[in-house]
Amino acid sequence: MIDEAFLPFEKIIERMLAFKGEIVDDQAGVRSYIYKCEIESPVEFDVIRDEHGALQIGSTPPLYYIDTSFRPAYHKLRFTAELSESVDGN
Amino acid sequence: MATENTQWQLEDFVDSLVVDLDKTRETLAVKAINKPLSYTVKELALDLNIFPSYDGDRVKFITAQPGQQGASKVTIQLGSITDQQVRATTKIPGAKNDINIDEIEVDKNTKKQLRKLGVSSVGDLKEIEQKNVDLKKVTDNTIDYSALANKIQKSRRDQNRPRVNGVSLSLDENDEPYLLIKGKNLAMDPKFEPVAVVNETLASVMSGSAEEVKIRVTDDHAFGENNEVILTFDPFAVVKLNVKAQ
Repeated sequence: MIDEAFLPFEKIIERMLAFKGEIVDDQAGVRSYIYKCEIESPVEFDVIRDEHGALQIGSTPPLYYIDTSFRPAYHKLRFTAELSESVDGN
Repeated sequence: MATENTQWQLEDFVDSLVVDLDKTRETLAVKAINKPLSYTVKELALDLNIFPSYDGDRVKFITAQPGQQGASKVTIQLGSITDQQVRATTKIPGAKNDINIDEIEVDKNTKKQLRKLGVSSVGDLKEIEQKNVDLKKVTDNTIDYSALANKIQKSRRDQNRPRVNGVSLSLDENDEPYLLIKGKNLAMDPKFEPVAVVNETLASVMSGSAEEVKIRVTDDHAFGENNEVILTFDPFAVVKLNVKAQ
C-alpha cells in the first residue's frame, strides 16, 4: 500500500485543479475567470508495487517545511491546465 | 516518511502514470458536465531523481528517497492534447451495461495487455472489434482471446441471471403434456438451444425464449409427485428446479 501520507498520483492532479476558477467583484461589476494555469511543484514520490504487481505512484507536495541536514528527495511536477470548453461550445 | 521505494522499469512507470492520468481525465470529464469552469490537463512533465541499474537484460530505476544524494535525473514529458481530442477519446465511465475489465476473471497479464491498449471495459473491446482490428496481431498472441470471450460472456450472463417465476404442466393442441417454465432472462442466447433433463432423462425442448421455455414430457420421464428438472439455457446459465405435482 502507498504510504498514508502520500496520495495516488491522479488525486494530486485533481486536487491541484480543484480551485474555483471564477473571481467576482459584485461591487465593481467585474467577473473574471482563470482560463489557464501552470503549476510547478516539488513533490515527493512513494513508488511501490501492489499485491498484483502493478506499480503504484504515490505523491505529495513537500511534507516538512523545516530546513534539516537530512534533505528530502524532491522531484519536480510541472503541468499546464486550460479551461475546458463546455459541451455547447461556449 | 514513505516506505522503501521499489525498482521499476520505465515502461511500468509510464504505464502507471498514463493509467493515473486517464483516471484524472475521466474524473474531469464527469466534472465538466455540471461544472462550467473545469480544467483540462494540457501538458505534464516530471523531473525524477532516480538511480538506474542494469542487470544485463533490462535497465531498472529506483526513485531517490530522502537523504539520498547523487541521483540522476530523468524527465518524462507527456505532450499536449486538445479539448476536442479529450472529448473524442474520453468516455464517461460507468455506462449502464458496460463491464469493467477488472470485473472479469482473467489473468493479470491479459488485464495488463488490455490496459496498455487502452481497453478498460468490454465496451472498449467491442468498439475495437467493430473497427476490424486484429488484437491478436497487436499483442503478439499474448492474449488468449477464446478464454477472454468466454469470460466476457460469463460476466454478461452474471448481470442477467435467469429467474424462474413459475412452472406448470400443460397440454398442447394434440393433448400431449409439456412443462411450461416462465420467468426472466431464460433462453437468451439464440446460438444455443436450451437443454433440459427431467428426472435424469433428457427431454426435448419444444421452444425457448427469454420469458418462457416449453419442455416435452413423456412416459420416459416418470413424472410424479417430486421431480427434478435441470435446465441449461446456455453454457453460463444452468438452473436446477424441484417441481412438485399438486
